[in-house]
Amino acid sequence: MEKKVKIGVISFEHMHALSYTRELLKLPNVELVGIADTDEFRGTRMAFQFGTKYYPDYHDLLETDIDGVIICTCNRLHCEVSVAAAQHKKHILVEKPFAMTAPQAEEMLRAAKENGVQIMNAFPMRFNPNVIEAKQMVDEGKIGDILCITGINHGKIPSGWFIDPSQSGGGGVMDHTVHLADLMRWFTGSEYTDVYCESGSLIHNQHIDDCGIVTADMESGAFVTIDCSWAHHKNYPIWPQVDMEIIGTKGTIDLHAFGQVNRIYDLKGNLVEDVVWNEDGDAGLVREFVSVCRTGQKPNASGADGARALEVAVAAYKSTASHKKIAVEHLNTQE
Amino acid sequence: MVKIALVGCGTMGRVHCGGYAKIPSVQLVAVCDLSEEKMSALPIPAQTRHYQSFDEMMEQEEFDILDVCLPTYLHKEYAMRGMRAKKHVFCEKPIALTNEDAQEMIACAKENNVKFSVGQVLRLFPMYANAAQQVKDGRLGIPKLIRTTRNQAFPPWSWEGWYQDYKKSGGPIVDLAIHDIDWIIGNFGKVERVYAKAFCGKVEKQDHCMITLRLVNGAIAHVEASWAYPQGSVFRTTFEIIGTDAQIEYDSVANAPIHYQTFEDGAHRDAYLSPVLGTLEPYCAELLAFVQSVENGTPLIVTGEDAAETLRVALAALESAQTGEPVEL
Repeated sequence: MEKKVKIGVISFEHMHALSYTRELLKLPNVELVGIADTDEFRGTRMAFQFGTKYYPDYHDLLETDIDGVIICTCNRLHCEVSVAAAQHKKHILVEKPFAMTAPQAEEMLRAAKENGVQIMNAFPMRFNPNVIEAKQMVDEGKIGDILCITGINHGKIPSGWFIDPSQSGGGGVMDHTVHLADLMRWFTGSEYTDVYCESGSLIHNQHIDDCGIVTADMESGAFVTIDCSWAHHKNYPIWPQVDMEIIGTKGTIDLHAFGQVNRIYDLKGNLVEDVVWNEDGDAGLVREFVSVCRTGQKPNASGADGARALEVAVAAYKSTASHKKIAVEHLNTQE
Repeated sequence: MVKIALVGCGTMGRVHCGGYAKIPSVQLVAVCDLSEEKMSALPIPAQTRHYQSFDEMMEQEEFDILDVCLPTYLHKEYAMRGMRAKKHVFCEKPIALTNEDAQEMIACAKENNVKFSVGQVLRLFPMYANAAQQVKDGRLGIPKLIRTTRNQAFPPWSWEGWYQDYKKSGGPIVDLAIHDIDWIIGNFGKVERVYAKAFCGKVEKQDHCMITLRLVNGAIAHVEASWAYPQGSVFRTTFEIIGTDAQIEYDSVANAPIHYQTFEDGAHRDAYLSPVLGTLEPYCAELLAFVQSVENGTPLIVTGEDAAETLRVALAALESAQTGEPVEL
């Protein structure tokens, strides 16, 4: 019988905590020990829904014998909470973006290393079945060498702390660049060298970047663009859009990671909705984290991967401000 | 550990072997085919034994489930030989080619007290299951008009050309449209009346059928299935359900998450892929469900009776296409 894994969830500020917790409870030999949340209303509601204990202060949850924590606070708190979790010798799955700034990311990686725990960044797209298939095709050489990739991670604008830069670190460029920046690194096996970005608050008038086009060069010579906008209107039929058009020396792959949908035209709701009928990636992400907690082995989608993706978002903001191409400053991610 | 023996190592046998490989609680003890070459090419463990004689396999092997992946006209004989030897039987679709044969198979399973299921796999395709669930959840109101398509080129190759011989395969109505007929009956209600058109073998290596179903509950369905597309065409399926409150649609090409193109051996190649991984992959999921039913007594997803009812409607459509008259069920 494999070892039972005990997990705590810290904060439902980021709504992905809902999906991660649901997936967690589907797995055998996993115990959800508790939910910590500074918002008592939300925290007690979630603890009731998932049949677990509520902790007003996350430090008390860290004092229990849990093996790992899932951290879904606002971006500002990723660093503080991750470092505390590492000091309590807990393995960590932290929501993306990994951190708000480069120094925060380095501090988190250092804390994990010093305390001998694994830190994983929530990149569920690495576990999306269509991304997995496309990655395998690339690895098998089906399109030869990757020359360039056009990426689109376009969504709707969120609300609350997401659109407060002091809590989130930025808008669409911070929130959405990292998913594709990570996948493109993973697919090419190459690091970013420089970044150019045009971005701004153009659609929703919320004083935060909701449109952004990031262009980047890679060490391999490949170039990529990432549309990281939050520009979709409310009635767009689906929230997530993660697309990659991959041009190789021998062929092309057009990937729509959320393309497996049934479309519903709903008369009562007066809306059109695309419903994904396959695993979206969250299930695989959570399985991977539970496996990391059980074995202590380095995760697919590590903290270092998270930091590398963050570098691109950080450079993109610098480029937006200066209208210049920015050389990517690589963080110290030695693990 | 549930032990499996599989007979018929053509296309579907090969797919089933891939499915069993993903299920930890099963052991594929033996495979059987007239062709050793086909058995050698299967994705199976090295210790799985190969038999060119069915009788020899039945004599020498101990197992729980016989998986029948033979051409349709051989389903009844081999399924019943398995049942009489007290093996649970999973049989590829369609169950048989006549209603009488289907009923005999069901009776034989009962007499021998073994489980019997048929690979009407569409119910487990996630896009079809999701649409059916939306209907069950009431999202669409009352489903009134259903349209399905399932279009491909004529099966280019088959053992002794059995697909081309409609006495052995039933043609596209009984072999292909039966998928959608099963999904409709399984989820939206029994069929009252059928009217159908098809080439019925009058055109060489091309056939195309259009079937109108009137359900007992009043809903109307149009089922289209084709073996008339040019060789090399992309296999394409679509569905649309219009209910009183909402409509839902799917297109395997428009909703393919991966479009792959390359240029090889002087020709452009094109593929639309829609991966479903692990045990959720429908051909694995149907086998897993059967294995679990044998292991734990969980209900079958498709019973012999379900498959027989689906065949009854498909045969009525075939009769309509042949006679040019509507058929009441």
